[in-house]
Amino acid sequence: MNHTVIDAHNLVKVYDEKTIPLYALNGVHLHIESGEFIAIKGPSGSGKTTLLNMIGGLDVPSTGEVIIDGTNINNLKGNALIDFRLNNIGFVFQSYNLIPVLTARENIEFIMLLQKRSSKEINTRVNELLKQIGLEDKADKRPGELSGGQQQRVAVARALAPKPKFILADEPTANLDSVSAGNLLDMMLQLNIQEKMTFVFSTHDQRVIERARRVITLEDGKIVQDSAPKKITHPMYEN
Amino acid sequence: MMLIKIAWRNIWRSKKRSAIIIASIIIGLWAGVFLIAFYNGMIEQRVRTAITQEISHIQIHHTEFNKDYDPKYTIQNSGAIYDSIKNIPDVKSLAARMIFMGMISSASGNSGIKLLGIYPDQEQSVTGLKDKLIQGNYFDSGRTNQMLIGERLIKKLKLNLGSKAILTFQDKEGNLASSAFKIKGVYKTSNSPYDEKYVFVRVHDLDLLAGLPGEIHEIAILLRSNNSLNAIQTSLQRKFPDVLIENWMQISPEIGLTVSVSDQMVFIYLGIILLALAFGIINTMMMSVLERTRELGMLMALGMNKLRVFIMIILETLFLVLVGSPAGIVLGLITTKITHNTGIQFKAYKEVYANFGYNDIIYPELAVKQFITIVFLVLITAIISGIFPARRALKLKPVESIRK
Ligand SMILES: Nc1ncnc2c1ncn2[C@@H]1O[C@H](COP(=O)(O)OP(=O)(O)O)[C@@H](O)[C@H]1O
Ligand SMILES: [Mg+2]
Repeated sequence: MNHTVIDAHNLVKVYDEKTIPLYALNGVHLHIESGEFIAIKGPSGSGKTTLLNMIGGLDVPSTGEVIIDGTNINNLKGNALIDFRLNNIGFVFQSYNLIPVLTARENIEFIMLLQKRSSKEINTRVNELLKQIGLEDKADKRPGELSGGQQQRVAVARALAPKPKFILADEPTANLDSVSAGNLLDMMLQLNIQEKMTFVFSTHDQRVIERARRVITLEDGKIVQDSAPKKITHPMYEN
Repeated sequence: MMLIKIAWRNIWRSKKRSAIIIASIIIGLWAGVFLIAFYNGMIEQRVRTAITQEISHIQIHHTEFNKDYDPKYTIQNSGAIYDSIKNIPDVKSLAARMIFMGMISSASGNSGIKLLGIYPDQEQSVTGLKDKLIQGNYFDSGRTNQMLIGERLIKKLKLNLGSKAILTFQDKEGNLASSAFKIKGVYKTSNSPYDEKYVFVRVHDLDLLAGLPGEIHEIAILLRSNNSLNAIQTSLQRKFPDVLIENWMQISPEIGLTVSVSDQMVFIYLGIILLALAFGIINTMMMSVLERTRELGMLMALGMNKLRVFIMIILETLFLVLVGSPAGIVLGLITTKITHNTGIQFKAYKEVYANFGYNDIIYPELAVKQFITIVFLVLITAIISGIFPARRALKLKPVESIRK
């Protein structure tokens, strides 16, 4: 049933190659199957953002390759790469996630509109998601009128709406208080189960890490630990 | 489309900045439209004054006459020509004249003049000479040798109403003829050089003196409308191939030139205003793009391609211009309409204007063609101004923008 969605081979990213080389990533191998719920942890500067940017096709590795569902994305350039991201990858960023002039509903519609989906399909999907993230009553509010936690929920819904191959979230809880952070993670976990959506997120928040099924630890650009998939510990999903 | 919605909302994010640029677009176009209309009015005034008070629409001469005004070149068959023109419906009025280059002499000096022998009623109907009098009276049926001279000339020669002066000119044989004429009236037009040059007497006081009884040198034709100019000129030329028939642009090439230059001037005025606006727009949009570095990076990361980013920025620029320009253009049109009806008087500059042959009341107006040109150029400016900030936005790299 499960299949490989992300396959990264020997990823190296070097900055300042001329003077003192800085290895933001130093030989990372990563294999991610569909349906996984993965936390990437590590101290600040360990290479989490760099790794997610490589996987998401936002940055190119110095050496190594990233294969997404059979496509080597290092061979894609310009608009081809942008379109690949649009149609295959969902993004949630740490902050400035939403388009400030659009309402919550319009933000969730955004990607599907770029993909030119039918308005009927978009409507059904957006209503469904607004319910799932519990923000039906805030659908017509702009990001500025939402709390940080609510904004991140909308961002997750937007990433999820077109059903991408996986969702990358770079420290999605960094700007949230611990209650909101917990709630956001519970919501992501729920969506992971209900929609079988693959999530890869970075964090250094221990309580967030606890909810992950697989935890990859980065240090100085290297994977130092990759926990075996484990059973979810959250009471809600114990059975 | 969603891009339109986003672009439209984006221009209202920085309200103050958008308001400033929109206000400058409004003021710029308001001034621009009115300036063009005013300039049109000035040109139109100049042309209308020249046609209705000086040169009329069409003039007929002997083919040789214009070279050096030799009085022997009178119009052959002038009676028949005159009668035939009189029956053309589009002709409003016409006047026959004798013309001599001559001199006027008084005790305090003399001055070169153009001496016109006229039929008073005809002249009144073509150039309205009687209405230009500021002193004295128009020709009457009384005594011979009455003359009308311009205010400039009477001052120059230190003469007074009622005093006499000697008019000297060449007759048909080339001999000098001269006679004393009494100043019956003093006229004044908006064209000072004209006032200094033209002296009017009745044709019957000249023709015998010149040895040309019943002859004329010029027929001036005033039409009901300039629209029939070419048709009438062509048909007259066909009918009377032996005489020279010229329209006002041929008679006074500098006025014809003024008209054709005015179209180019409109472009230059507008170009300067639009260039200034373009700089403002580019500056505003550049700021707006740089401020949104993270947001634009986020949009590109999510999958908004280059064309869409480009279109979004162009649309924002276009909206900024489209919000301001209708108001600016409408204000310009309203101002034009009002001043067109009331006229704008430049009392303080009356004399200055008169020296260039301009009347002191100007009626601004705008041609439909010019209006369309303005709208078109404004749109072009908006799009061109949008290209720079849009290209700037395309240069952003998502990763770097998001990290900022
Ligand atoms: N554009 C860049 N130029 C130079 N060094 C960079 C750049 N981006 C990241 N780095 C460096 O790469 C390393 C990894 O950064 P990052 O992936 O952001 O770590 P993390 O997200 O785990 O905090 C850090 O030492 C950072 O300073
Ligand atoms: Mg980071």
